[in-house]
Amino acid sequence: MAPRETRAGEARAAAPAAGGRQVWRRLLARRTVRAAGLVVVLLVLTAAAAPLLTAVEGQDPTSYHNDLLDSAAGGVPTGSFGGVSAEHWLGVEPGTGRDVFARLVHGARISLLVAVGATLVQVAIGVLLGLAAGLGSRLLDQLIGNTTEVMLALPSLVFAISLMAVVPTDFSRPLLLTLVIGLLGWAGTSRLVRAQTLSLKQLDHVAAARLAGATRWRIARRELLPALAAPVLTYAAVLLPTNVVSEAGLSFLGVGVKPPTSSWGQMLSGATTWFRADPMYVLLPSALLFATVLAFTVLGDAVRTELDPRAASRLRVGTTGGPGGPGTTGEAAA
Amino acid sequence: MSRPTSTPRRLAAASATVALVVGAAACGPKADGGGGTGKDAAPQRGGTLTVLNQNPQDQFDPARLYTSGGGNVPSLVFRTLTTRNRADGAAGTKVVPDLATDTGTPSEGATVWTYHLRDGLTFEDGSPITTADIKYGIERSFAPELSGGAPYLRDWLVGAADYQGPYKDGRTLDSIETPDAKTIVFHLAKPEGDFPYLATQTQFAPVPKAKDTGTKYQDHPVSSGPYQVEKNENDGAHLVLKRNPNWSAATDDQRKAYPDTIDVQSGLDPAVINQRLSAGTGADAAAVTTDTNLGPSELAQVKDDKALAARVGTGHFGYVNYLAFNPKVKPFDNPKVRQAIAYALNRTSVVNAAGGSSLAEAATTYLPAQETFGYTPYDPFPAGATGSPEKAKEALKEAGYPDGLTVTLTHSTDTGKGYGPNLATAVQDGLKAAGITVRLEALDSTRYSKTIHTVGTEPGFFLSGWGADWPSGGPFLAPIFDGRQIVTDGYNFNSAQLDDASVNDEIDRINKITDHAEAAKRWGALDQRIGEQALTVPLFHPVYKRLYGKDVRNIVISDWTGVLDISQVAVK
Repeated sequence: MAPRETRAGEARAAAPAAGGRQVWRRLLARRTVRAAGLVVVLLVLTAAAAPLLTAVEGQDPTSYHNDLLDSAAGGVPTGSFGGVSAEHWLGVEPGTGRDVFARLVHGARISLLVAVGATLVQVAIGVLLGLAAGLGSRLLDQLIGNTTEVMLALPSLVFAISLMAVVPTDFSRPLLLTLVIGLLGWAGTSRLVRAQTLSLKQLDHVAAARLAGATRWRIARRELLPALAAPVLTYAAVLLPTNVVSEAGLSFLGVGVKPPTSSWGQMLSGATTWFRADPMYVLLPSALLFATVLAFTVLGDAVRTELDPRAASRLRVGTTGGPGGPGTTGEAAA
Repeated sequence: MSRPTSTPRRLAAASATVALVVGAAACGPKADGGGGTGKDAAPQRGGTLTVLNQNPQDQFDPARLYTSGGGNVPSLVFRTLTTRNRADGAAGTKVVPDLATDTGTPSEGATVWTYHLRDGLTFEDGSPITTADIKYGIERSFAPELSGGAPYLRDWLVGAADYQGPYKDGRTLDSIETPDAKTIVFHLAKPEGDFPYLATQTQFAPVPKAKDTGTKYQDHPVSSGPYQVEKNENDGAHLVLKRNPNWSAATDDQRKAYPDTIDVQSGLDPAVINQRLSAGTGADAAAVTTDTNLGPSELAQVKDDKALAARVGTGHFGYVNYLAFNPKVKPFDNPKVRQAIAYALNRTSVVNAAGGSSLAEAATTYLPAQETFGYTPYDPFPAGATGSPEKAKEALKEAGYPDGLTVTLTHSTDTGKGYGPNLATAVQDGLKAAGITVRLEALDSTRYSKTIHTVGTEPGFFLSGWGADWPSGGPFLAPIFDGRQIVTDGYNFNSAQLDDASVNDEIDRINKITDHAEAAKRWGALDQRIGEQALTVPLFHPVYKRLYGKDVRNIVISDWTGVLDISQVAVK
């Protein structure tokens, strides 16, 4: 945030921080949240340390181990639980003998990077367009509104598949995944931000800033963005697990990361036919995906409850917190 | 094996692996511990055989069917001049007379082929089959509205190049003579020793002109075989065949026709088919499939189930999966680079990626490992099963790449078809040790097929495959290596764009040979000669494992089709 010179600015700057701490305390007080948080932290650490972890195991995610497969039986791993051993902690992949642990932890990098990246893209575009629609001319609002409608109506999976298919294969696949998921999923954020902007615009301090001759850009930055942080953060927390699933889905359908790079979706896709012959191979990526999405969803839910517009209205500074809260209508604050 | 291919020409080669594998897929009798329950009892007539398939029999007009050896289901309804020998294994690659008394008498250097019909042949309505019906059947296959069959007749018959069938102007083909009701003579534009193999295809089935209803004929084609069509629903998705009362086993020594009814159900998922066959409840106990293999994961399950393993047959079909080079693209113009890749290749990884040693046999020859194709064992670049990085590095150094090089391998996104990402990554991993970095370029299957078969867009290095229309070296080698078969404005299969006069001449010389064994030897020698140029690197020859119902007996699988022959199967 920009340097704050005005009195109002100082007050606002201090308040969200205080509110943030408060929210943080309340979040941590919940056991489910602590558990979910732990899962997320572990995942991030695992993903970050993937090369280190696989080095400790002594494997890498792409080397073939034909000697660990029963070739005559379709290439199923020899040994129990999908070939679990001291060298291969979680067994090997049927048909190739690649190390499952190494592929899972390297896959976590792709899943998390793409999901976080796509969420950032979605939020950035959504906030920009939402603000523009809320503050701009009627024509601009209409234009952005219609575009948003179109984006919402678009069968995004079909669109994503075709987009992934037409881009030259030289283009970095994780980046492409991030962009495709991000560019197709900003509509919700944009709508939310526009609605919030329209109601925030009516508030006294915003009106005062406008009368004082502040530009739209300045109003957006100084008066609106701080107030928008809470709802947007809430929404982003919900978007994130959806994006994890989107990445897995696209990779599952064969348009995600390029082999031999691993991702959970790509592993699941290869595992589908093996659920009887080698259950471990299916269960591991499924369980990880499930845990990740659950953890993010629990966190997102908790954040939303804590930052609920009604609750948020108590935290927001610059207003006295009218009866209906700033989230409802302009009249409420007027 | 009936291949319901909708793709162009020639087996639709590469693109039709699906179809091929499907057709080829197969199963087999022999092996795997012999008999389930009561398999030793003599097969009896009667009962209903259920066929569970993926692909609907959406074409059932003999003019439009593209088959190898007359197909499986079609061959129950259509008899042809010659047919494949209904016997297990290698004996099944022989061509034998069907409607004709012999496999044909060649004259004038194999450009004229004469056939005589057996006595007592009748259609399902009791009317006699004459050579005029066979001539008419062939002629109507030239009609544009009945296209879809193999393209050979148009190339081979004199004056057939722009013949448009009998419907438009009533013109007939002068190159097919029928001097009397029992004799038919074919005049070819060039010597074709393999003509008896072509005469197994359904275009050689008799069609009575009076009963021809054009494009509607396929709803109820007039049967010459042991069964006739009772029901054809949803464009062949469900086909019911019942006995043809006017077929006589006395005139047909190939088809056994034990069951009274054949019920063909299609449009099923392969996993469902195998699940139903293994469970074998109700009618599924007397069921087979003619287009579905056991996949690698299903094979892993069968391993632990003896009763199930006894019901798995093994089949071979002439097919090769290979790495193709386009020598017009650098650095593949350099034979040393191609050799380096041949040396570096880890065929064990490739075989495992293709489903393991039960579903794929590592190959160093382009020709399938069967005598009938002219199989001559050779390995121009011996490097063991897992490849030799040292030899590869040596070749690379000679090629001027002492520090290794990076190449792009084009493959299809379709998994499980032999051109997919699994195989591509196996190749990629194998070449790594030799210092060859492989970048993968994946195309969706339609685009992949079009790209690799178009001269202008053909990539330098890609996964490919080929299967022949009949078990002979000719249809295996000629389309891929004959310089005159380079197609610049359509589907081209000569991916190396090899136009070597000595190869072309040898192909012409072998085509004149009417003794199959003699020709096979020459095809084998030619294969070796071409193989040494490393224009392709053979990867593996697929093997087909198929499950059949527990009440099914008298199982025959020929190496021609690699498919369980339903004309031999009994369910009682």
